[in-house]
Amino acid sequence: MDIVNRSGAFSKSKPIKGTRLQQEARIGLLFLSPWLIGFIVLKALPILASLVFSLTDFHMLTPAETKFIGLRNYVHFIGDGNALASLFGSLSYFIFTIPIEMFFALALAAIFTSARLKGKRISRTLIFMTSIIPATSIFFIFQGSLQYIQNLILEPLNLPPIQGNGLLLPFMALWSIGPGFLVLYGAMESVPNEIYEAARVDGAGPFARFFYVTLPMISPAIFFTLVINLTGAFGGAVLLDRGYILRFSLSPMESYINNVMFSETNLGYASALAWVTFAIMMTLTIVLFRSSRRWVYFPEENSDVEI
Amino acid sequence: MLKFRKRTARGRDVSRLTLRLWDFTGTAILNLFMFLFILAYLSPLPFMVIASLTPHAQFLDANAPVLPSRRITFNYEGKDLVVYNVPTENGIQHWALYKPSRQSSEFIDPQHPENGTIHWVGQWRTLKSVYTFSPTLDNFKNFLEITNVRLYFKNTMIVALISEIGILCSSIAVAYGFSRFRIPGGKYIFFLLIATIMIPSNITLVPTYFLFSGHMLNWIGTWLPLIVPHFFGSAIFIFLLRQNFKGIPRDLDEAAMLDGASPLRILISVILPQSIPVVTTVALLHFFYIWNETRLASLYLGIRPDLQLISFGVQRSQTFFFTPETLMVGALLVMIVPVVVLFLSQRFFMQDMIVTQIEK
Repeated sequence: MDIVNRSGAFSKSKPIKGTRLQQEARIGLLFLSPWLIGFIVLKALPILASLVFSLTDFHMLTPAETKFIGLRNYVHFIGDGNALASLFGSLSYFIFTIPIEMFFALALAAIFTSARLKGKRISRTLIFMTSIIPATSIFFIFQGSLQYIQNLILEPLNLPPIQGNGLLLPFMALWSIGPGFLVLYGAMESVPNEIYEAARVDGAGPFARFFYVTLPMISPAIFFTLVINLTGAFGGAVLLDRGYILRFSLSPMESYINNVMFSETNLGYASALAWVTFAIMMTLTIVLFRSSRRWVYFPEENSDVEI
Repeated sequence: MLKFRKRTARGRDVSRLTLRLWDFTGTAILNLFMFLFILAYLSPLPFMVIASLTPHAQFLDANAPVLPSRRITFNYEGKDLVVYNVPTENGIQHWALYKPSRQSSEFIDPQHPENGTIHWVGQWRTLKSVYTFSPTLDNFKNFLEITNVRLYFKNTMIVALISEIGILCSSIAVAYGFSRFRIPGGKYIFFLLIATIMIPSNITLVPTYFLFSGHMLNWIGTWLPLIVPHFFGSAIFIFLLRQNFKGIPRDLDEAAMLDGASPLRILISVILPQSIPVVTTVALLHFFYIWNETRLASLYLGIRPDLQLISFGVQRSQTFFFTPETLMVGALLVMIVPVVVLFLSQRFFMQDMIVTQIEK
């Protein structure tokens, strides 16, 4: 965690006076300033504002009549069946789709490390490709295929139409393994061969080598993929953003909040819901980070691994 | 392996040959498995292309072939008659249906129309019509007529270009600041940066919407809410760039500094030329982000269809089209650009994803 202190072409020559350091810090802060301003205006203040909003009955159409109502929005949430169902939907997204993604990404990465596999580059690109297909396209392909199945298979047989978009979720999860796959594959490739050799000499078979050598060695990459997936599941920033399906949001809680915000224009309640999501996500993240000390392998104590 | 050798009673050569065969079989099975997996994994895509080239009528006929085709018709006395496979005593004949009725129908033989109508006893509805392979671009034409994809494309490119400049300049500057300067409390600022990656966008959505709304900035119905925030950098991109900048040896910047180069000069002439892959990666990721933008586009551009971006514009057109082939056309039009960009840049784009991520 001492990267910032160790860094610095400007610090190599020992600072004789404090002013030199101060100057360096000033220039550094100048470079940081775009992000700092953006952080204050677009992140910190809005987060605080939404906390304040969540304690009021702020409506978009009548901002002048806003009153402070204390925790009533949060109490309302506990009794709001739809909100709880949406929250459960979002959590189940995390519980069901992330294991699917992780499993396929890991299995594919393991197969890719085999020297016998031919045409790795094109296969890699093809597997990754599905992760950049816009959500709009995926949604259209899904809808079109459903209709096709409907017209040609279900209707002639007098079967009821397929209900809901429950299948869309696993479908999309499978098509999102690209980044995780690349990260895990890269990590597996960078495991030193000597460790495998040593394990082989000790009589470890391929499965033992995978579970006792590969998995522990790539645990930082697994951790990173998990964090990125968790963030994505709750609407945080993701590396590859494929957009949003307006009517069938991937995260049910997100679409419920949007509904409260724009159909009911109840900004106060929407802010409270967003804060509940935020709190749950932060708790999960902290639990994940705490647990990482037990199962994530860090090569050296003071290495460059941070977060 | 040992078992193998024991079983083959003959000499070493044979067992070596068997081993090689075994090895070959393993390789073949592995590659076949991968091939089949990728085939299944991508199977919706060929289906999408085929369906987008298929005339609508084909989707309504359960007996139609899979590939895009059209029915063969025969023009007789100024009317287009559909040709059917008609079972007769002389095998199946391709006849055009002239006068349909429930129990028996009149047909014309397209080869010999001069012979007049042929009486056939049977239910014509059970007959299969004759198809011929013929992909059509009509779906695309119809789609482009109703949805203004060209306009959306132009809008998306403008927004992408302007915000690209903003996000690259700011993210590179901030990443440089984080990687090369000693700042008091810099560790905590960096931690804050990482923390912002995980903030759900919903929590800032209400206040930022209020900020951009008529109550404050009055930016709704303009591109500004989609462009301006990018001029403050993106935490994920700053993280990626910083990891890369830190990997660049400092000897060169020190030399440049001794020559009296300013920090900005060092960034432009020393750091950036060595970071082209990661900068390109960031630029591409941001392009995908703008291309896929639907959420902010629906919020801020919902009232201005003439400024709409492609993903949301096409997604909203779904209300006009609800047939498989037009949906597939829409899907194809939206995804073709990102896919082509990926294939053009695959080499270092993919490589960079691996290298940068692993440092973590």
